[in-house]
Amino acid sequence: MEASVENGHMKLYAELGELARFVENAMRKLTEIGTPMLHSSAQLPQAASHLQDLNKMTEEGTHEVMRLTELIQESQGCLQKDLAKAKDVLLAMDCTSLAERLKLATDTLAENDKHLVEIMTALSFQDLVAQRVKKLVTILDDVQRKLMELVVVFGIEQQKPASDQASKADEMLKQLEASKTASIKQDLADEILSEFGFK
Amino acid sequence: MPADPNMKILIVDDMSTMRRIVKNILKQLGFSNMEEAENGQEGLQKLRADTYGFVVSDWNMPVMTGIDMLRAIRADEKLKHIPVLMVTAEAQKENLVEAIQAGVSNYIVKPFTAETMQEKLNKIFK
Repeated sequence: MEASVENGHMKLYAELGELARFVENAMRKLTEIGTPMLHSSAQLPQAASHLQDLNKMTEEGTHEVMRLTELIQESQGCLQKDLAKAKDVLLAMDCTSLAERLKLATDTLAENDKHLVEIMTALSFQDLVAQRVKKLVTILDDVQRKLMELVVVFGIEQQKPASDQASKADEMLKQLEASKTASIKQDLADEILSEFGFK
Repeated sequence: MPADPNMKILIVDDMSTMRRIVKNILKQLGFSNMEEAENGQEGLQKLRADTYGFVVSDWNMPVMTGIDMLRAIRADEKLKHIPVLMVTAEAQKENLVEAIQAGVSNYIVKPFTAETMQEKLNKIFK
């Protein structure tokens, strides 16, 4: 009887020992995964910020195309009015063939006007892109929050990045960051070129 | 009743590019009296402070969405008669049904053309 109880205890101890080793192993693995995870998580706000910059850049570019399109629309409008007046004068002078030619020119301008409106409406792509980028930023924020929760729950400490992939992503982010501040405007480039004797 | 080219139109959208596009199209269609608002709340303030004949609104906006603004317009004795056209990227059937239930006058899915805008205006102001 005593032997069988002792045998049962031994089995229990062995199973508890195995369980303890399993838990320890799992914790070690989590810590190993945790470091690169923490590093990747730290990059997410930067990546989100670059996405927001993307929105800003497309918005500025779109406004510039719109500004130029509106300028053309305005000058087209003036031309159409002038041509209509000239056509009336020609008709009053009985120059029908010339008036007819002016009418053709007016029709072409009207057709161009339609194309300009099409250019304007095509630019609505920027709004659609911006909405998707906003959704992506929200997803990134959410992923980062969840990663941080894991970090807090498992008490993972920050170390240097271990994997090559993390370093690559890091490098790409650094390049993006540098392009923000290091890019120069053409005016400044011309100024520097002229200082070096370029005419 | 055909659309009055002098009526005041309110364009509500959080994206400045979209407001400019809608404004440009409406200008080409003969309208010149236009105001802008960045969200539903600002839109409602403007609507309550002045007399408008038509509202073109986006759906997704911060502070107050277009659908909430539409509900507020329809619940307001002084504003409920104003036609509201929703111009939105929300292209799900449920969105359209929700907008109809809220009292939308018509609905345009982005991206859209000037012809679509003209067609919807004709339907609203027939």
